[in-house]
Amino acid sequence: MTLAARTWGRMSLTARLTAILLPLAVLLAVGTVVGIVFILPPTMDFLGANMPLVRFVVAVVGILVLTIPTAFVLIYMELKVIARMNLRVGPNRIGPWGAAMSLFHGFKVLSKEDFAPTGADLTVFTLAPVVTFLASVMTLLVIPFAPGIFGQDLNIGVLYFFAMGGLAVLGLLMAGWASFNKYSLLGGLRSAAQIVSYEIPLTISVVGVVLLAGTMSMNGIVLSQSGSALDWFAFKQPLAVLIFFIAATAEANRTPFDMTEADSEIVAGFATEYSGMRFGFFFFAEYVNVFIISALLVTLFFGGWTAPINWPWPYNLNWLDAAGIGILWIPIALVALVVATDILGAAIWLIGGREWSAPSAFGLGLLIAGAGVTAAVGLACFIAFDWVQGIFWFFAKTYVFVFTFVWMRGTLPRVRVDQLMGFAWKWLLPASLLNLFVTAAAIIILNQPVIPR
Amino acid sequence: MPIGQTLPFTAVRWDDVLFVVLAIMLLGSALLVVTMRDIIRCGLAMIASFASLAGIYVLLGNPLLAATQVLVYIGAISILVLFAIMLTQTKNAPTRLVFQTQAWIGAVAAVVIAAIIAGTVLTTTWPSTGAVAWTATSDIATMLFGQYVLPFEVVSVLLTAAVVGGVLLARREPPADKEDRS
Repeated sequence: MTLAARTWGRMSLTARLTAILLPLAVLLAVGTVVGIVFILPPTMDFLGANMPLVRFVVAVVGILVLTIPTAFVLIYMELKVIARMNLRVGPNRIGPWGAAMSLFHGFKVLSKEDFAPTGADLTVFTLAPVVTFLASVMTLLVIPFAPGIFGQDLNIGVLYFFAMGGLAVLGLLMAGWASFNKYSLLGGLRSAAQIVSYEIPLTISVVGVVLLAGTMSMNGIVLSQSGSALDWFAFKQPLAVLIFFIAATAEANRTPFDMTEADSEIVAGFATEYSGMRFGFFFFAEYVNVFIISALLVTLFFGGWTAPINWPWPYNLNWLDAAGIGILWIPIALVALVVATDILGAAIWLIGGREWSAPSAFGLGLLIAGAGVTAAVGLACFIAFDWVQGIFWFFAKTYVFVFTFVWMRGTLPRVRVDQLMGFAWKWLLPASLLNLFVTAAAIIILNQPVIPR
Repeated sequence: MPIGQTLPFTAVRWDDVLFVVLAIMLLGSALLVVTMRDIIRCGLAMIASFASLAGIYVLLGNPLLAATQVLVYIGAISILVLFAIMLTQTKNAPTRLVFQTQAWIGAVAAVVIAAIIAGTVLTTTWPSTGAVAWTATSDIATMLFGQYVLPFEVVSVLLTAAVVGGVLLARREPPADKEDRS
């Protein structure tokens, strides 16, 4: 037995903890100092010098992360809204008003068995949800959320969007075939026929917008609609909005066009044999798709992140920075929160008397004060930063359309598969061609300048 | 310092590395298309090969062509090819069909095409600079609808004729009268 081992054996628990933690703390402190002094500046220089690359990586990570809250909010919204429309209560157990429902749905899906049927083509079976999910996520890369907040401003943005969006059907087809199940195969075939058919009117209806804007860049299209709500392309292209809305519903496999998973006809279509997280990815992709088509509808026809009213009075916030406080507003807001909480809590406690215990009174005070301070800070940011405004308007408009899609699911029955195909080829395609022709003719007659970019 | 144009400690350019990777993917998946026996997997390998080609188009400075490649070849043509295969093949039939009964004709055709391409590559004088020329969308549009508008229209008429012919061939004869159906 060595000296070190004997000493270790004689030490008390506290001494042992100290012996471990003290060197660790010293090491961490030294490491932090060394990191800040020697490693941080070169790293920042390196990142700063490679700004485009860093921006791209951040954008990709950002949109990947964005899909998670989007899908959760949409799943909860769909459960709750449709329940209300059916005069039910909907999820109401987990979290306030059942708000944590989709989170626990996620945990449930993660903990399920990852099952593959006998005879399935395992490679293709595994790759199918990946293809579908990635196709959805990659389309998010070109959507402008606010001025300066977008993944990549491609000058062929619209074309990129449709190219990537068309890949989702590949995943569904792969899933349908690899499941080794005739219902799945039928679902996959239906989705291929449906999406390839509806992609044509969808794309042609957008060409009118591209003609009007003179650019295929998403950012350029938003900028050419800036002004008030009257400048939105929805009013110049009413037919295109209608065609786009219908075709996009079919592209996203939403009711009334959810033939691919019509559970009363072909069980669940391509998703029959999927379980666990593989199934989860399909559903992630589906809900993200609803968000994406709403976002695209807003971007192309409803002005994107621009505000619906043109604020007539100029405003500036220079008085905020009059004393040169700048970043000090953050601690001021925190102090205001604490003071307001104390005052409100004391008031509630004094007035409410015996009804309120001190913690609950101050808790209520904190709630009210927090809401007030958040509203004040939010309003200040809304006025001060145009990207906060942009994000607000973008998400507000997008969720109006998301709600419309949920509403449709709660209201409309499913169409028949031959009606679906006939409608695409006999009505939507001629209508979109007519729209394109009329738009082009109007541009030539009115001689609007089309600026090639 | 910014990441340079070349790989660290070597003179190999990043573009070249990307090109080699994409070319290996392209050729590898193209080989898989003809060597694999499972026809659906062949179709999927074909899609991978189209996707690598789109990557090469981007690398050559023409994202428009790449997006069109993905939209048309992967999003429409390959999907329809897979669709047709899945419609005609049943699960009970052997999926591993021996389908290259025309191997000799195929070999001759491949050699002829390779010879034509090699001849073209050898006789063309290539620009010596390695610069990537980014092609603007409007340039392509001006050329397509200005200088080459006649070939463009001829191709459109040809495609329309093909669609009409396809519909005519696939059309089911309407039953002559009610007695025939029973």
